[in-house]
Amino acid sequence: MAFEPILTRNVGHPEARSVDGYKKRGGYAGLAKALKMEPGEVIDEVKTSGLRGRGGAGFPAGLKWSFVPQDTGKEKYLVCNADESEPGTFKDRLLMEHDPQQLIEGCAICCYAVQASTCYIYIRGEYTEALAIMEEAIKDAYDAGILGDNAMGSGFRLNMYMHAGAGAYICGEETGMLESLEGKRGQPRVKPPFPAVIGAFGSPTVINNVETLANVPHIIERGGEWFAGIGTDERNTGPKLYAVSGHVERPGTYEFPIGVPFSELLDACGGVWRGRELKAYIPGGASAAILPGDEFYDLPMDFDQIAKAGSMLGSAAVMVMDETTCMVRSVARLAKFFNHESCGQCTPCREGTNWMELLLTRIEKGQGRPQDASLLANICTHISGNSLCALGDAAVGPVKSLVETYFHEIEQHVHDGACPYPEIRVFSNGQAA
Amino acid sequence: MPTVTINDRTIEVDRGTNLVEAAKQAGVQIPHYCYHPRLSIVGQCRMCLVQLDGGAKLAAACSVNVEKDGMQVRTDVPEVKEAQRGMMEFFLINHPLDCPICDQAGECGLQDYAFKHGQAYSRFQYEDKRTYPGRERIPLGPNVLLNMNRCIQCTRCVRFTREVSGTGELGFFNRGARTEIGVFPGKPLDNPLSTNVVDICPVGALTSTRFRFAERVWYLDKRPSICTGCDVGCNITMEHRRANIRRYKPRHNEAVNDYWMCDYGRETFERYETLPRLAAPRKRQAGDDGEMEIVPVGWTEALDELRERLRMAGRSAIAGSGNLTTEEAWLLAKVAAATDVADLPLITTQGPTRTIPNTHGGVSGSDAQPNRRGAELAGLGGDGMTAADLLQGDAAANLDLLIVADSDFSDAAHDPEVVERLRRADYLVVFGWADSALARAADLALPVATHAEKSGTFVNVQWRAQRFEAAFPPAGQIRPAAEVLADLLDRFEEGWEGATLNDVFTRMADEVPAFAGLDFDLPPTGSLLNVPGSVPNVPEATGAGADGGSESGTEVSG
Repeated sequence: MAFEPILTRNVGHPEARSVDGYKKRGGYAGLAKALKMEPGEVIDEVKTSGLRGRGGAGFPAGLKWSFVPQDTGKEKYLVCNADESEPGTFKDRLLMEHDPQQLIEGCAICCYAVQASTCYIYIRGEYTEALAIMEEAIKDAYDAGILGDNAMGSGFRLNMYMHAGAGAYICGEETGMLESLEGKRGQPRVKPPFPAVIGAFGSPTVINNVETLANVPHIIERGGEWFAGIGTDERNTGPKLYAVSGHVERPGTYEFPIGVPFSELLDACGGVWRGRELKAYIPGGASAAILPGDEFYDLPMDFDQIAKAGSMLGSAAVMVMDETTCMVRSVARLAKFFNHESCGQCTPCREGTNWMELLLTRIEKGQGRPQDASLLANICTHISGNSLCALGDAAVGPVKSLVETYFHEIEQHVHDGACPYPEIRVFSNGQAA
Repeated sequence: MPTVTINDRTIEVDRGTNLVEAAKQAGVQIPHYCYHPRLSIVGQCRMCLVQLDGGAKLAAACSVNVEKDGMQVRTDVPEVKEAQRGMMEFFLINHPLDCPICDQAGECGLQDYAFKHGQAYSRFQYEDKRTYPGRERIPLGPNVLLNMNRCIQCTRCVRFTREVSGTGELGFFNRGARTEIGVFPGKPLDNPLSTNVVDICPVGALTSTRFRFAERVWYLDKRPSICTGCDVGCNITMEHRRANIRRYKPRHNEAVNDYWMCDYGRETFERYETLPRLAAPRKRQAGDDGEMEIVPVGWTEALDELRERLRMAGRSAIAGSGNLTTEEAWLLAKVAAATDVADLPLITTQGPTRTIPNTHGGVSGSDAQPNRRGAELAGLGGDGMTAADLLQGDAAANLDLLIVADSDFSDAAHDPEVVERLRRADYLVVFGWADSALARAADLALPVATHAEKSGTFVNVQWRAQRFEAAFPPAGQIRPAAEVLADLLDRFEEGWEGATLNDVFTRMADEVPAFAGLDFDLPPTGSLLNVPGSVPNVPEATGAGADGGSESGTEVSG
């Protein structure tokens, strides 16, 4: 299938980082069109498109925008979530580094739609290069009259700021991000109230992922109907970036219509590396359940199909594992990440992620006990659904799939008293021996 | 008002009531750690999970308010019980379980809920517990010690310093399982309300330097009382073991001190231990060799002698203080009236302004005594001789008889110069619990109860009458002053012998307009008196401004 890239069309065209270059390649047509529409029409167009949030939860973007109350008399905010911190995700980085104006345009349209005059782009602190490029692009957009008191001559006032995080995964959780943005300790708030009602600085706030907003200019320019025509069905529409990493020949970010079969995606990456067999893959980032490769080889990678398979599309960070991969070690590493990144606020996540890491590390070392698998499963049920924010559930995802799908590997570790897979030495250039 | 059903019990609650409080009203306990009625809702301990309208995902009861009719809440379904068991396990896996050496044992949220909602065995068997080496005995400030190993990260203390004391000394540091509580460098937890964080800490992480290792809490006898540190009149629980007071803890009274009290108030009982006790009535008389000597005397003989002295004296004065209960002050005034004593100086003392926050803007008081207003209402003070005349002037020299009803009216009672001035009266009678310099100089010293040993009524800075009860009886020959004064009054007016406090209060309510209509059984929050100058039901209008004087130090006034 010949698919013309939409979100990544400017990748490889560094001139598109400036307003002029971006316009030459067709940019800012969406914003110009949106500013001539009523804000409500813009929201309706996005609703028509069926665009669902690309950050992980898949919440319909148009619906989210329509939740912002217009009659409070308070300032409204758009916060763009560019705190891309989950292991295996790097799609937003690509969008910001290669096509910053596309994101600015998307943010501007969203701001106009919800009548917000201020937009913050909360970017992961480690993304120094993306930050510099975005800062430069925003300055350029101000100079070109795209941003400022009179956006594109429409009279709409719009200010945009970059805000760099300080290295906490939890600040990618939307309320944790707001706390951090306000200068407080980055930890999630209790919900409700939801940010659409009380968000940044006590005001109604829309929070969208970079990729979600990058889709918006194209929806406005080419119409929601056109957008809805891409993808598997009316609930899974539009182009999607897949960040593929792990044991493939060419890891990277790939754009496909949402719902591309995993097999096609794998082929695009050159297949499993070194001619090895596929063992398993994680379809949606560190918090998604691991899917066995043989059973779900042709799984369409959209929200609903992956959910039906027992995992989630999440941030579409696809991690491919070959036949030499120890599942216990992989999941122990993921558990270590979540333990490290738990904010420590709520009990199940603070204590549970720690316990899971300790248990998994012990099993991996060959010191597991026969009852450990069921204990792990029980810890998962105690965390799952009981934590304050989604991080607890995220931490449970891979562990639960380990216990359910790869129970035999735990048993083998316990039985052998050692890890049956050879230790992989990783050299400083990232290449495994 | 919307209705809410909690485990089949349907009740009406105010709109906006959160489910923890609603359940309490329905008689259902929802376990919680981080929730506190006066602190912001953070929903982070996850102990209060309940099932809402049969939903699959449990909700934190503290963060759900009753807004609409017909909410269905269950705490008795297996899902909730399983979640509670899970949370208890999470709390305990890294807890040191050092209950045998922990001050909190016996009043510990972990112990209580583990017993009720936990399980009797541990599945955390092969891992090491998380510890915070070197963080077991961290002084956060002069009054509070932190043992981080015991902390369950509920952040009540952090929120207290941010939201109630407004001082913000405490913070939440680090992340995940390494999260800890602490102070910022060079900023100790030393605000006047700091010990409250010990009270609200559900576990033994924060302990009081004053109470630490003083007593196992299950030996403590806990009695409702009133703090005597100032005229705010914080409601307290006096906790003692065999008449040895171990600590004061604040007792909830929304109109006065809410859930709080100040650090100064908590140490006021130490005066009962540090000053020598006047244990038996005694008098000074000329011995066989003509030297003055101090000899014990029985109560009857002592009161008979006092009656004679009052009858014979040409000019007498009866000095009271703001430490007396209103009933005692009123009985003193009755004795004065029965014996034509016109001078009733009231010795008062100013202290620093102490402010206790509550939901009505807080209460401030700057008297160093709890009951100046009650004593004034009862008839002490007024025209005539003033306390200044007595303590700084030479008024005592003109007196045939001087009764000082409080041997520890202030630090001045221990000042030799002041004692010498008072001693210039021909005959000096001193009532009191403390064997102060003044008591030792008295011709007749009568031992009476401390406020821990007697009942009575104080009128605080809001003009709120508050009753307190004896926590334990006085030892030996010591008697409550009201009882002694009733006996003395009986020597002039029939019908006072054996009068109970109820009798005294009822008679007082008949005669003193400010107390008119009050029943002896005051409501638990006290009764605002109808007094010119008081502003009933607007507690925020009283306070520091009402009396002025925020300076520290001792002043005297008529």
